[in-house]
Amino acid sequence: MSAFSVTPSQTVGPFFHDCLLRDDRCEAMVSDEAGSQIRVEGRVIDGDGAGVPDAVIEVWQNASFARIATDAEGGFSFSTARPRRVSFDRATMQAPHLSIAVFARGLMNHLLTRIYFEDEPSTESDPILRHVPEARRTTLIARRAADERLTPQYRFDIVLQGAGETVFFDFTSPAR
Amino acid sequence: MITTIGEIVRGDAAVFPPYLYEAYRSTLRRAPRLPLVEVPLTSSELTQPRLDVSHVTAEDADLTRNAGTGGEALGQRIIVTGRVMDENGLPVPGALLEVWQANAAGRYIHKRDGWPGPLDPNFLGIGRCLTSTAGEYRFLTVRPGAYPWGNHENAWRPAHIHFSVLAPSWSQRLVTQMYFSDDPLLGLDPIFNAVPEGARPRLIATYAHDVTKSQWALGWRWDIVLAGPDATAFEAREQSAA
Repeated sequence: MSAFSVTPSQTVGPFFHDCLLRDDRCEAMVSDEAGSQIRVEGRVIDGDGAGVPDAVIEVWQNASFARIATDAEGGFSFSTARPRRVSFDRATMQAPHLSIAVFARGLMNHLLTRIYFEDEPSTESDPILRHVPEARRTTLIARRAADERLTPQYRFDIVLQGAGETVFFDFTSPAR
Repeated sequence: MITTIGEIVRGDAAVFPPYLYEAYRSTLRRAPRLPLVEVPLTSSELTQPRLDVSHVTAEDADLTRNAGTGGEALGQRIIVTGRVMDENGLPVPGALLEVWQANAAGRYIHKRDGWPGPLDPNFLGIGRCLTSTAGEYRFLTVRPGAYPWGNHENAWRPAHIHFSVLAPSWSQRLVTQMYFSDDPLLGLDPIFNAVPEGARPRLIATYAHDVTKSQWALGWRWDIVLAGPDATAFEAREQSAA
């Protein structure tokens, strides 16, 4: 075995809340970036269609980070700055998106996905979404909620298994 | 124990556990069933998020006294230390390590932990620290106890400390558990056994007499090696292409 053998992952288990979600560690970690805010809400759902009450999701974008635990019904919500387009390679831009990690009891490694936005025109030509089978792309696109509050509201469910299973990624070598 | 082992693995299948591992019952309805979609890493995964670490204090790394009661936790005092490295063996400085564990009797303070092990009013079982410029971390705590769980008949989790590592790159994110080399329960634990056999030793801390402090605490050493390229790989590529 090499001296630098990669450390395997293990499940986050059911008892992470006191550590990972202490007051100063969750929504307080969202940066107060200038620019417009959006709100996203949804549920984490298991293979029986039941809410996952002991999941924690992490939301990353360029300069901000947030950690949100699901409630008793598997629900979550968070506010963040509306993401901007970022580069893919020297010639191409990515559509605005949020990077999501899902941790839960029973997940031996965190799952990685992305939230795109249905009312963002560049979503259609995003270079990462092009890798996703067309029929499954909708699982990565947040729906704009009809109600017009000051902060735009989006809906995004994370289905771990079964009908409408969310697309989860395995990232390989960097884009060139 | 015969168990169904799924084929869906994120990362190196010789290192990382499959999502479906039937012997660990909670994987059955939570493991994805469709293949992961392979995509290239982009700036989104390789750049550094801004973490607010202003709350992290030296006291946070002393779990024997950080309950705020003025009292000291009961149990065998231990020092857990090691280095956080990337897969080239280079230190990862400034990583945020967050740890949580059961007390010496095997009980968590968590409201959903209801088994009749005694609580210790002087022990929260949570700590955190930032790695040094050499990638080193160090916690003072008490050795956690084993505890029963409902996975199968007479199931007991081996003593373990949960570790969350927030490294400078999203692609290096890791949540795992550290075990102790002298624990007879390791081979019976489906969560530990879900890791490919060759990689299991990497989750086990070893007793380190050079870490042990005379008249004070026993020493355990455990290094963490993060998979994946970090932001420097991305920046190097940007520069070479410029």
